[in-house]
Amino acid sequence: MRRALVLLRRRAISSIPVLLIVIVGTFLLLEAAPGDAVDAYLLSIGGGDAALVASLRASYGLDQSTLARLWLYLTALAHFDLGWSVTFGRPIVDLILERLPNTLWLMGSALALSFSLGSILGVVAGARPGSATDRVLSIGSLALYAVPSFWLGLVLSVVFSVQLRWFPIAGIESIASGKHGLDRALDIARHLVLPVSALGFIYLALFLRMMRSGMAEAWRQDYALAARAKGLRRPRIVIRHIARNAMLPLVTMLGLQAASMLGGSVVIESVFAIPGFGRLAQEAVAGRDAPLLIGIIVTSAVLVIIVNLLVDITYALLDPRVGAAEAAA
Amino acid sequence: MPNVLLSRRTLLQTSALLLASTAMPSGVWAQEGGRLVVAADSEPKNLNPAIAASNGVFFIASKVIEPLAEASFEGEDGLAPRLATSWEGSDDGLSVTFKLREGVTWHDGKPFTSADVAFSAMNVWKPLQNLGRLVFANLDGVETPDDHTAVFKFSKPTPFQLIRNALPVVTSVVAKHIFEGSADIAADPANNQLIGTGPFKLAEYKPGEYYLLKRNDAYWVEGEPKLAEIVFRILPDRAAAAGALEADEIQLAAFSQVPLSDLERISKVDSIKVYSEGYEALTYQLVVEINHRRKELADLKVRQAMAHAIDKDFVVNTIFLGYAKASTGIVPRDAKEFYTPDTEQYPFDVDKANALLDEAGYAKDANGVRFTLKLLPAPFFSETRQFGDYLRQALAAVGINAEIANNDAGAHLKAVYTDHDFDISVGSPVFRGDPAISTTILVRSGTPDGVFFSNQGGFADASLDALIDKANETVDVAARTELFKDFQKQVSEQLPLINVAEWGFITVARTSVKNVSNNPRWAVSNWADTELES
Amino acid sequence: MSLLRRILGTPEGAAGALILCVLVLAALLAPVLFPADPLSIVGPALVPPFTDPALPLGTDRLGRDVLAELMHGAGTSLAVGIAAAAMAMIAGSLVGTLAGLAGGLVDEALMRVVDAFQIVPSFLLALAFVSVTGASLPVVITAIALGAWTGPARLARAEVLSIRERDYVAAARVLGMRPLEIAFREVLPNALPPVMALSSVIVAISVLTEAALSFLGLGDPNIVTWGSMIAEGRNVLRSAPFLSILPGLALMLTVLGVYLFSEGLADALARRRSRA
Repeated sequence: MRRALVLLRRRAISSIPVLLIVIVGTFLLLEAAPGDAVDAYLLSIGGGDAALVASLRASYGLDQSTLARLWLYLTALAHFDLGWSVTFGRPIVDLILERLPNTLWLMGSALALSFSLGSILGVVAGARPGSATDRVLSIGSLALYAVPSFWLGLVLSVVFSVQLRWFPIAGIESIASGKHGLDRALDIARHLVLPVSALGFIYLALFLRMMRSGMAEAWRQDYALAARAKGLRRPRIVIRHIARNAMLPLVTMLGLQAASMLGGSVVIESVFAIPGFGRLAQEAVAGRDAPLLIGIIVTSAVLVIIVNLLVDITYALLDPRVGAAEAAA
Repeated sequence: MPNVLLSRRTLLQTSALLLASTAMPSGVWAQEGGRLVVAADSEPKNLNPAIAASNGVFFIASKVIEPLAEASFEGEDGLAPRLATSWEGSDDGLSVTFKLREGVTWHDGKPFTSADVAFSAMNVWKPLQNLGRLVFANLDGVETPDDHTAVFKFSKPTPFQLIRNALPVVTSVVAKHIFEGSADIAADPANNQLIGTGPFKLAEYKPGEYYLLKRNDAYWVEGEPKLAEIVFRILPDRAAAAGALEADEIQLAAFSQVPLSDLERISKVDSIKVYSEGYEALTYQLVVEINHRRKELADLKVRQAMAHAIDKDFVVNTIFLGYAKASTGIVPRDAKEFYTPDTEQYPFDVDKANALLDEAGYAKDANGVRFTLKLLPAPFFSETRQFGDYLRQALAAVGINAEIANNDAGAHLKAVYTDHDFDISVGSPVFRGDPAISTTILVRSGTPDGVFFSNQGGFADASLDALIDKANETVDVAARTELFKDFQKQVSEQLPLINVAEWGFITVARTSVKNVSNNPRWAVSNWADTELES
Repeated sequence: MSLLRRILGTPEGAAGALILCVLVLAALLAPVLFPADPLSIVGPALVPPFTDPALPLGTDRLGRDVLAELMHGAGTSLAVGIAAAAMAMIAGSLVGTLAGLAGGLVDEALMRVVDAFQIVPSFLLALAFVSVTGASLPVVITAIALGAWTGPARLARAEVLSIRERDYVAAARVLGMRPLEIAFREVLPNALPPVMALSSVIVAISVLTEAALSFLGLGDPNIVTWGSMIAEGRNVLRSAPFLSILPGLALMLTVLGVYLFSEGLADALARRRSRA
């Protein structure tokens, strides 16, 4: 436990300058964008004249210099105030808290699906490396990993929503249906089946391959030989000894995929019209809403850091070798 | 070692159930009258149509906030009374008298009076509204001799024809007692918590998901509204709209939210009907905006050649799938009051186009290219984008190399209307019943930079400007109409921009929805008589 | 050369190489078989595939030849993939080598920057960058590289850290070679091979990212890409699904080919190391 805490503190501290770089970088990037939030707002009301434009800019503080605005933003951020979104006319924190759960459901379920199904299939493949099952699963997973996620989403929606009508076409739940509790959970689950599949199947391939190659590696180790020499039955060797040791790198991979999946959710949310975090990013870019986009990027960065921290702690707890040196120091 | 795989799954499942018990909107199933679910594709930032007089806003807000009069097929002068029961212009064009409806109350119970109209006109329409600033430019004040009469006073003679045609669009009345003390009306949060006199009240807005409107039981028409609730469901993905209609998840999709390519298939479904009527007062025009600062484009022959290079029939049939008409000029055919077909035409003729360009002195080089242009297609509609792709090919056929730059909406507006960083662009202006509302500004010189959907191409013709200004001061209806016919002729001769096609939108609804498209601005009108057959 | 033979010896490597050869061939033949601009309108709209011998795979919404678009798209996808990967690797290797050799504060600072780029989801970054700068081919390539350079950077740095302690570097220092010379002549060439192994994965990811960007409407509109074809086909998904399916299959095949080839490469390298 102490090792974990030492690791936690070290990582948390070194994350702060990184976050700062992310914030300043994004801010400057958006400064370079042509058009600002007022332009986008004027579009939505069909235009306006020069005086109106100037007064709008002044009221949103968009006529000040870059450095002045950056300073204001940073000081507000220190108070956990992410600012105001010109595009939506609401505090950014509200927007993010509203949209984030939808994406977390999407990502979490996809990760769970890909991790569990991928590991299981990987164990099946790695139980007998080189066998026909192994070959089929390996090639199949490679093919799956090569599929563009948005295309898979489109194909799934055409087949299962449009032709077969098994699942709803878009959104995260039926509108204003008044459902509560279990009913609502089931409604959301139904809406998420296709997007989660589209997102999850692709990462499934990744975990499958990792598990399989980890197991192939584990077979070569001494303890595998020892277990066989001891006369243990095969399934027990596979599960207790081989798979368990091959599992560790997958846990690390879980953390790395978090960032990748956050990005992948943008396209999937677009295909399935899910009001999530990824789509919010698209809307922020379209609305030239710099504070919103920064808020989104900062939040994703924090999320990734947290996930990685959790992964590191889990890894440290699982593998006694990790962090021992630092804790001893 | 704990069995990592299984426990993770169960953890997720239990948390799903826990989270699901958050509050949901009240009002479970609609009472008598039913609930109409409509597809919406945007969430306007400012929902107040008195300030943002745009179709995206009207689509939702016109059910809550009413204008003085609405467009109508049967009514006199194409208008039906709403908050005003009659309107009359003085002979000298310096005043307009409105008689207002009695017995109307705001959604919060307070009575509607002429004070509200006066407040709206002077504090909102004139200073803040994008279109009102033009129409009410000369408005001096509004007199209210009694609670139900409002007299608009103008500093210069203003054509009553213009005011009359603009009524449905620029006269959304807001409550004085709501906005009175506001320091900044444009930014006031009351803009999104609308209080109006309309048949529906804005009950709930869940961002990214839906707007919920509920029946106003105290509406001033007995027996209306027929519907109990309207839900505007946000579906930005157009492809989803068709499927949702077929699955009965929504009952109505307007503004061609069902893509044109799906219409043929969907019209064959028994329980679904396709309406192309209902948009006559909202004609969108497909135009090629031209930057006259470019030497080649300042040459009339070049512009004529470009007009000849465009196959309007192809555009109408392949891009709009027949749901549009080829334009003959800057005023669309549907504007029966002003339209004249007697204008210069440019039929599709590639040879003629090539000849004109040769005459103008721009010979083809070794690769067959005369010169290169920067083409910015507007991203607002898939048809404008497609037309951009087509235009590139059409111009390539006559030796003009058009390079497309794809921008999102914000960047496009800035590039074209503020920075003038374009050579030609594809635009989609709207004709709103009277050329003076949003059409003359497309060709008149003198508009400052940064005003969208105006003449930012640097075109300037003194006689055309004079014609427009004169029309703005001519009170006599016949004379004014003649001036605008002249206006159309001159524009077609000089080609400040090229009009290609004009289109209205398509509404697709389930057959259980009644009284659809029964006025020329149906989608953006108040739907008080819309009914759901059970 | 022997490496190549070894790669082709493995079934994965051979399959991958075959697929890639077909693609390169398609890309090279495209301007020969279809010399006109693939975006030009050649026939009526929405002709189904296999119905008209002159238009073997049919036409799209505006009447453009699907086969021409597919073949020209092959060149674009491969070019973007390779260019983005090259940019990412060059930038990454340079930064990683610099960090590894310089050490101390420079190393710390550079690694923080690498961390920053790694934390932000690469697709979000690409999205923001292309939206800000405007969609054209060089911008798309840069946007993809912005997300991919961190892998090579870390790898290069790790390699350099181990290499710089080695004898031949010490020898070079004793000989009086200047630090920059050492960097480029001794260290970098030896740090590269593991980074190269990463290259094929980056190419695959670049191809997919470019397709996703085009799909969202952020690709270069003056050229054909498979992603833009899918986006176009989405509008008529129910009446003409082939317009979306064909380019998707092409993408899948391309990425599969790259992965198979890299599997073969990894196998061949592993065998070489185990033999050594």
